[in-house]
Amino acid sequence: MIRAFSPFLALRYLITRRINILGVLGVAFAVWAMLVVDGVFTGFVRDIRNNVESSAPPLLLTDLPHDSSFTVFHDALFDDPDVVALAPRLRQHAMLQPIRQDQRTRAKRGSNQLDFDHTKNGFAMLIGIDPLLETKVVSMSAWLLRGSNEIARYGRDESPSKVFDEPDEERLAEMLLPDRVEWDMRRRAGMPHDPDINNHRSSLPGLLMGWRRVFNLPHIQDGDPFEVVCASFPGGDGENGAVSMRTTQKPFASAGWFGSGNRMFDEVTALVPIEPLRTMLGHDIDDLTSIPLVTDVAIRPRDGITGNELIALQRRLEKKAQAVLPEGSKPCSVLTWQEQNSVYLKAVEQEHAMMTIVLMIVMLVSAFVIYATLHMMVVQKIKDIGIISAVGGSPRGIGSVFLINGTVVGVLGSLLGVAAGVMSAIWINPVNDWLYANYRIELFPRETFDLQGIPCHLEPSWVIAVAIGAIVLSIIVAFIPARKAARMNPVTALAFE
Amino acid sequence: MSTILRATGITKNYAIGKQQIPVLRGVDLSIKAGEKVALLGTSGAGKSTLLHLLGLLDAPTSGTIEYDGREVQSLPVGERARLRHQQVGFVFQFYHLIPELTALQNVLLARMMDTSVLQYWGKRKQAKASAVEMLQHVGLGERLHHRPTELSGGERQRVAIARALIAEPKIVLADEPTGNLDSATAKEVVDLMFTIQQERQLAFLLVTHDEGLATRCDRIIRMKDGYVVDQDMTSDEQAR
Repeated sequence: MIRAFSPFLALRYLITRRINILGVLGVAFAVWAMLVVDGVFTGFVRDIRNNVESSAPPLLLTDLPHDSSFTVFHDALFDDPDVVALAPRLRQHAMLQPIRQDQRTRAKRGSNQLDFDHTKNGFAMLIGIDPLLETKVVSMSAWLLRGSNEIARYGRDESPSKVFDEPDEERLAEMLLPDRVEWDMRRRAGMPHDPDINNHRSSLPGLLMGWRRVFNLPHIQDGDPFEVVCASFPGGDGENGAVSMRTTQKPFASAGWFGSGNRMFDEVTALVPIEPLRTMLGHDIDDLTSIPLVTDVAIRPRDGITGNELIALQRRLEKKAQAVLPEGSKPCSVLTWQEQNSVYLKAVEQEHAMMTIVLMIVMLVSAFVIYATLHMMVVQKIKDIGIISAVGGSPRGIGSVFLINGTVVGVLGSLLGVAAGVMSAIWINPVNDWLYANYRIELFPRETFDLQGIPCHLEPSWVIAVAIGAIVLSIIVAFIPARKAARMNPVTALAFE
Repeated sequence: MSTILRATGITKNYAIGKQQIPVLRGVDLSIKAGEKVALLGTSGAGKSTLLHLLGLLDAPTSGTIEYDGREVQSLPVGERARLRHQQVGFVFQFYHLIPELTALQNVLLARMMDTSVLQYWGKRKQAKASAVEMLQHVGLGERLHHRPTELSGGERQRVAIARALIAEPKIVLADEPTGNLDSATAKEVVDLMFTIQQERQLAFLLVTHDEGLATRCDRIIRMKDGYVVDQDMTSDEQAR
């Protein structure tokens, strides 16, 4: 039973002792920090995961030998009841440059693949795709729309590429641009072209670049030509016993740009039709000895597959793929989109975890502030404790005075912190915009992670947990000075000066 | 008149390092209902210590303390607090008011000791009315909402008296209640205390150095070096 004098005195002390404001502000600050920083990190991790997920196929068969054939894997994997679609992928490092001189960026002399600004050094990761099959695994229309939106943010109003809208499957397989577009481009670029536009048939395979590469180039129009250079080892020795190396060069036509949301992917990657890339690597489709070369196979499992079923499917597909590989081949892997980007995602999660630890320390510091203020108050109120005892206050009632005080400080601080935290979460982007507009200060490097705003996501359960946690912590730390007060000898307290 | 407080063979030692310092060496006394008793003695005689023991603020090293015939010295601290609230009112030399509270709140506080929040909430108006009445009775009807720092010494002591009496105790233990007042104010305060004592037939145990004040009591107990050396009826009482 709480004696009436305990809350009465606790509230009186709370109102009259300004030191309590320090405690309230301490808790409020910790709660605010927990909510805002964690809200931003939760939103950040969520958006990053969404971006990464949208840039990767749901499952990817990878770690395949260099001469793997798609046909073999298709036959082995497609009969699985949990597999909906398969698409071949061929990864190849390449260099690409606009053929038109006025569109070239000023790459440094001797720039190389170790330069981190991939958009300027000309190096790219080509991914050869089969447009017909790829659209069944990855939402290409979403990528194209995002690419267009991202460019539009920088004042370049361009509609999304229509390269996948081509009804003719043969033309779609090469990602060919409309005849008129390519003819116009050839005329502009001074490339060979028929004087009569009606006689022209598009022949340059399409090239879809990540919007970040396009963004750094002078204005690129649909159909603008790019020279793509690949290097490969055809096998056998070259002259004087040196390693034989073959470089191939082929013009492609810009077919637009995409945005996956993954900054690095959008900077480095260019999508090309898989057949021309295979040809560049020595596997011409017309050559009867060639194979439909792949480095990876993108896989879409059926919708609604559970986590456990997905893991089982991974293991099953790995076994099936391994079974069709030549004996002695290294183990292949079927990776989820998280596993494909595990290093990046783990780094982000680790950052989140570290920040949570820092915030816990902030919370502990604020708990210490409450402890210090209450302890100081107990020391200042020793004589009062003696007086209350003399008037008939029980030790438990006296302890309750300080416990209630600490609890109210915790509750007020939590409420204030929650209010400030929620307001901050709501206003963080306008405030950030204002700070940037007036002082060039950014609260969060959203550009670094290709986020359109500062992502802030407050989970109601987290808000409640933080508020309750702060109150409980306040009660726990208030218990120590309260116990000291309750155990004080009344005679000693009365004699205290 | 019945004996409301009886102390038998009370000793109290304080430990200083490993040494036990005896402050009370076997004190016997009893106080009847409605009786005014003065406790006289030099500094260090053990008067205040005895007062604290009788008021259950501290426990004796040995001996028994009885309230209404019930031994109470070994009760748990919570129970002793409850008994102190019900039986004893304290008045101190330095008033001991809580500085954050007004005169009215200081008095009301004493009504809150033994009731739960809900119980008190139900009778808060009644409690406030009786506290106001008590303060008016001690002449502070116009100073209800003043804090201790805004009151004179005499006024503070009146608030302390009102606080001691609000819970209707059977005995008031006053530790040199006029020791910090000028003689005129001291006389006013003592007159007030004795008037109320008469009205309510309270027992009073008054620790004092003032022989004049002591002679206004029914009985004087003299202490020296932790012993009761003399218990006399005062001449006033003998005359009665």
